[in-house]
Amino acid sequence: MILVREISKSYGKVRAVRGVSLELATGQVAGLLGPNGAGKTTTIRMITGVLPPDTGSVSIDGLDMVTQSAKARRLIGYLPESAPLYPEMTPLGYLDYRGKLYGLSRKQRQRAALVALDRCRVGAMARRRIGALSKGYRQRVGLASAMLHDPAVLILDEPTNGLDPSQIRETRGLMRELAQDRTMLICSHILPEIERTCDRVIVMAGGRVRADGAPGELTCGPGAPARYTMELRTNPSADASYAAARLAPVAGVGSIRPDDHQPGDAHAGWARLIVEGEPGAGDLREALSGAAGDAGLFVRELTTRRRSLEEVFVNLVDEAQLPSSQEGDS
Amino acid sequence: MRATLAIASREVGSLLRLPVGWVVIALFTFLSAVIFVNGTLIPGQPATMRYFFASASWMLIPVAPAISMRLISEELRSGSIEPLRTAPVSDSAVVWGKYLGAVGFLGLMLAPTLALVVVLVAVGDPKPDPGPIITGYLGLGLVGMLYLAVGLLASTLTSSQTLAFLGTLMFLILMMVLSGVVATAGSLPEWLSKALVGVGVQARVRDLAKGVIDTGNVVFFLAGSAWFVLLASAALSTRRWR
Repeated sequence: MILVREISKSYGKVRAVRGVSLELATGQVAGLLGPNGAGKTTTIRMITGVLPPDTGSVSIDGLDMVTQSAKARRLIGYLPESAPLYPEMTPLGYLDYRGKLYGLSRKQRQRAALVALDRCRVGAMARRRIGALSKGYRQRVGLASAMLHDPAVLILDEPTNGLDPSQIRETRGLMRELAQDRTMLICSHILPEIERTCDRVIVMAGGRVRADGAPGELTCGPGAPARYTMELRTNPSADASYAAARLAPVAGVGSIRPDDHQPGDAHAGWARLIVEGEPGAGDLREALSGAAGDAGLFVRELTTRRRSLEEVFVNLVDEAQLPSSQEGDS
Repeated sequence: MRATLAIASREVGSLLRLPVGWVVIALFTFLSAVIFVNGTLIPGQPATMRYFFASASWMLIPVAPAISMRLISEELRSGSIEPLRTAPVSDSAVVWGKYLGAVGFLGLMLAPTLALVVVLVAVGDPKPDPGPIITGYLGLGLVGMLYLAVGLLASTLTSSQTLAFLGTLMFLILMMVLSGVVATAGSLPEWLSKALVGVGVQARVRDLAKGVIDTGNVVFFLAGSAWFVLLASAALSTRRWR
């Protein structure tokens, strides 16, 4: 449905986006994550046709965004960051105007406006001045406008920006509802928002895509380093460091150390270890338990902890910062 | 075309929902009435609107930029240009829609001054000749259209309404000074003087106010307006690439 091939964009000497490629299938809900200045908004602007890419191409359902722009734009509903609207208009008047821009007939406009306002739960405010509405309601009017022409693709840039917690919860619910029957790309730097709404996460930093996959894949996929907690019984005369030394040679183990909180029966030889796997080492549980058995250690607990999306995100951003600062043009 | 008309009608509607729209209409109508009472409604004077048309064309120099300053600048400042650009509407349709909206508002602004014509017909003896009045309004409309097109271009170049207003005002004053003062000073080569007089507006309005319809004058205003609107459209398109 959305096909982005090697797009780049520079503002003067600043290279905001560098060779970004991504593909979104019909019905997929993807989150575009990244710190401020990562190039998310510029990428979204190129996907929606607001900006043309310097290089590369964007197509929506096979329609090129530059050469078949009008047709391609008809397929997209877009909520820009901070939902810019006309404060002197009413939500109903604004949606009617947007409907005219999309070439809807009077009947279609009236029906579509009522449906969109109702779905975004802003019907009660339909005849009030937009400038007099709260930020939450304005955001919903923007969302109603984005979905007015029933687009196959919905692109939302920071949809919960500036909302209070209850408004954020309501907006997330609405996004989940909308995601049921269309392709969505949600741009945000708020991780829980993406984690709870999207079935795919694309992490951008320094103008490039740094990771792309399902949240589960990113947090505990084959390439993701994992952390293991082991509780085992060592020789009563030895301590946790004895067990650590036996397990350290296992292939894929990055580091191993006694946990700060040792079990209550440590005096009986029980020890708790924290094992950090190397990136790309895969699941080490079998190798660790095997090595423990070979060394005569009895394992009573071996768990792996999924890294949070936040940890993955921070790692990727940290990794991205070094090369981009060396290039000096981010 | 449908989208252009939608943008135009939204523009007129927005100007009428904002205080600036009503202030401009009220001020223009009030000043027009003052000029009419003091310059035209004088016993013994011929019943003609010529003085009003000449003065009103001067008034348009600050009034037209006040109408045009927000056309694109406000969209750029607030960010509402983004949803506009993601709609299936070309930059050219956006610019023409904005322009037609501003011209529509100009028409609404001139409409109350028709009451002055009614007064002149009621009290004038002999009754005024309708021909010069019709061509006078045509001239006023054409001048306004040209000034609005200049203002539209300025509004496309900046997100600051103040800059757009001042830029247009300065340009119009500069053109007036060049064509009215510098060109007739006698210090310039003849071809340059002729060229500067040629782009002058006031002499053309005087012709129209006299009831003289010179095709050259009409073409000058229409072609000049279209040229500035096309420039504005090109300027908006190039913004995408910056």
